[in-house]
Amino acid sequence: MTLKDCYAAMGGNYEDAIGRLRSERLVQKFVLKFLDDGSYDLLCRSLEEKNYEEAFRAAHTIKGVCQNLSIDKLQASSSRLCEALRNGYTPEADALAEETAEDYRQTVAAIRAFQEASVG
Amino acid sequence: MSTEQKQKILIVDDSELNRAILADMLADEYEIIEAENGLQGVGLLQQQETDISLVLLDIVMPQMDGFGVLEVMAQNHWIDDIPVIMISAETGSSHIERAYELGVTDFISRPFDALIVHRRVVNTILLYAKQKRLVGMVADQIYENQQRSSLLIDILSHIVEFRNGESGLHVLNVRTLTELMLNHLVQKTDRYQLSPSDISMICTASSLHDIGKISIDEKILNKPGRFTDEEFAIMKTHSMAGAEMLENLPIHQDDPLVKVAYDICRWHHERWDGRGYPDGLKGDEIPISAQIVALADVYDALTSKRCYKDSFSHETAIQMILDGKCGAFNPLLLDCLRDFADDLPTHMNNSNSVAQRNLREMRNVAQEIHRHEELTASERTLQLLEHERMKYSFFADMSKEIQFEFTASPPMITLSNWGAEHLGLDEIIMDPLHQPEARKVMDAADFQNLTDILRSTSPDLPVVTYDCKLNYKGAWRWTQIVARATWSNDEPPRYTGAIGKAIDIHDSRMKLASLERQASHDALTGLLNHAYAKKRILERIESRPAATCALVIFDLDHFKSANDTYGHSFGDQVLVHLAEKLRQCIRGGDIAARAGGDEFLIFLEYKDDVEAVISRIFQSLCGRFEQFPLSISMGVALTATVPGGYDALFHAADAALYTVKRGGRGQYRFYDETMRETLSAISPIDGDETTQEPD
Repeated sequence: MTLKDCYAAMGGNYEDAIGRLRSERLVQKFVLKFLDDGSYDLLCRSLEEKNYEEAFRAAHTIKGVCQNLSIDKLQASSSRLCEALRNGYTPEADALAEETAEDYRQTVAAIRAFQEASVG
Repeated sequence: MSTEQKQKILIVDDSELNRAILADMLADEYEIIEAENGLQGVGLLQQQETDISLVLLDIVMPQMDGFGVLEVMAQNHWIDDIPVIMISAETGSSHIERAYELGVTDFISRPFDALIVHRRVVNTILLYAKQKRLVGMVADQIYENQQRSSLLIDILSHIVEFRNGESGLHVLNVRTLTELMLNHLVQKTDRYQLSPSDISMICTASSLHDIGKISIDEKILNKPGRFTDEEFAIMKTHSMAGAEMLENLPIHQDDPLVKVAYDICRWHHERWDGRGYPDGLKGDEIPISAQIVALADVYDALTSKRCYKDSFSHETAIQMILDGKCGAFNPLLLDCLRDFADDLPTHMNNSNSVAQRNLREMRNVAQEIHRHEELTASERTLQLLEHERMKYSFFADMSKEIQFEFTASPPMITLSNWGAEHLGLDEIIMDPLHQPEARKVMDAADFQNLTDILRSTSPDLPVVTYDCKLNYKGAWRWTQIVARATWSNDEPPRYTGAIGKAIDIHDSRMKLASLERQASHDALTGLLNHAYAKKRILERIESRPAATCALVIFDLDHFKSANDTYGHSFGDQVLVHLAEKLRQCIRGGDIAARAGGDEFLIFLEYKDDVEAVISRIFQSLCGRFEQFPLSISMGVALTATVPGGYDALFHAADAALYTVKRGGRGQYRFYDETMRETLSAISPIDGDETTQEPD
């Protein structure tokens, strides 16, 4: 599995990421690092605790990271979730959180697969 | 600042991944420091302000967002020197607008292109560095120009003096005396409307007063004897010649310094009565600059050795001038001269040594400027600052004191290295009121009190002393905090925080407490002593004048025989036992004391049935200690029946006790009028029971 395949699997835009960050090495390094990013855990925890201010910030961070790495699919859902939480809780947030979670799982699965392929 | 050292970039972003991407792009050329929220970013800026060349700032962050950081940067004027590039996923125009309003240099929206970020960072840093260098260059140029022009004037006047065979000090002396006269004159009168810059200009121009002598034949100039009339006529042309030289300058005709120098050259030999040369001007027709230089010139000529004369003493010179031996001068100037004549020699010596040093320095300046091309004046300032910092941190470490700096907005404490270690805290504590580690060290109420007190100071009286307990890694110890509130220079002044130190006063405070206890308590029984009890009773009477109170004095019957029969240490045990019983039978607010020997004292407040109270106490004190029966004689006086304060009360209770003693002991009695003439049972307090007693 190549990095390009990984991008396809997670609904990202490989060409765009390479175009902006200028090096495959860099993109690969940070895509792998995405697995360690705590923002998603923070998002889940904040939503559970109904701390919507914190949840907004976490969604915002996920969106920012995805923008940097051109992980478009997760960026789109986290961005919508972010807007739904910008001024506190709104009823749409629940469905959007579910959608974000789904995209996050897909992204992580793709990166894991890529990680294993490149290690092995 | 050497170019080899990497410039520093601060990245403030709450996502580690985002920081890492930025750091990766820039780490080759720059040193990167990171902060994961706004508050931490502000902390780093506070700490390393002058070192940071650029800030990359996110907007949405916990603790303090990017706009908060920009506000703090504006408040502290950091934004004037440190460029900020904002990077954010927020693309709303209101966000961008607000960012620019708060002073960011650039705004990059996510997703960003690595090349663009890199290029903008490089450009911004270059731009700011260039601007800083330009500011520095302008400052240095001004400094250099001033140095150069005095240098040139000094060189010029030296040439004149050299030809003249003079010591080289004449010009300096004239300048010093001119300055003294001018400063004195403006204090005395505002007739001449001289501003500080006029004074400085006249002083500088005074150096040029004799430049005309360059046109005089050296043979005449250095002739040892008297001039012939012809020679004197030639000599006299030097003043006009100097003026003409200045008038014919091809450039700088309109420079005020040149105009003043012209006046001085032409007219420094005019006299107040019109008998000077070359124009025979009278009184204030002569410009004040020339009048003063004329006087200074004459004084220095008199007190210096010349080829045609010896030097006169200071006193003689002054007298000669005042007597008009050297021509007439403005009476006002003669008054000035008279005023400071006594101090003049000291002044001249001091200024000359300063002037000579300046001269030496000036000779070196040109060389030094070349030698240290890198070391410009503004960098010297930075070095001095750095030196002060090093000195401060060295002494702070040496002093073994907890020193701190507190900024009010954002709330942050910076501790001295030693202090932080001693308290088990970080050197920088953000938001100390809510930081768990800091809260363990100082009680929140104390912290709040202290900040309230600091805030309520004024710029004139900013120093505060506050005692409280601090937790030194688990041990609470009394500590004195001495702090000075810092106020801004704004109008009205704004409270910005405080600096101060915390001193451990636990041991001395505990010692004081123990000394106080020793001084107020009886060592054997632990009850109050008589003197301290009296003090407490007086306070009580004063604070509750309407209360009904009883003063009780009692002693042990036959105590002397207990001592005699069983020994003194048994006697002591009896007293300790009795004191313990006494403690048990009184209430919290009552005052109990050992009055001396085996006499005890109680002061208590009662509501209605005092008899019952006294009876209960009496009963509980009686009994037996080992083989010794405890029999008590007790006298009681009531504030309700004995007016006249403590002494009267004590005397009355004493008389009642005496009555009991005389009446067979083992009971209590209240004072009444019949006891008025009674003797005292304990007045000679340490008196022997047997000699006092009637039986």
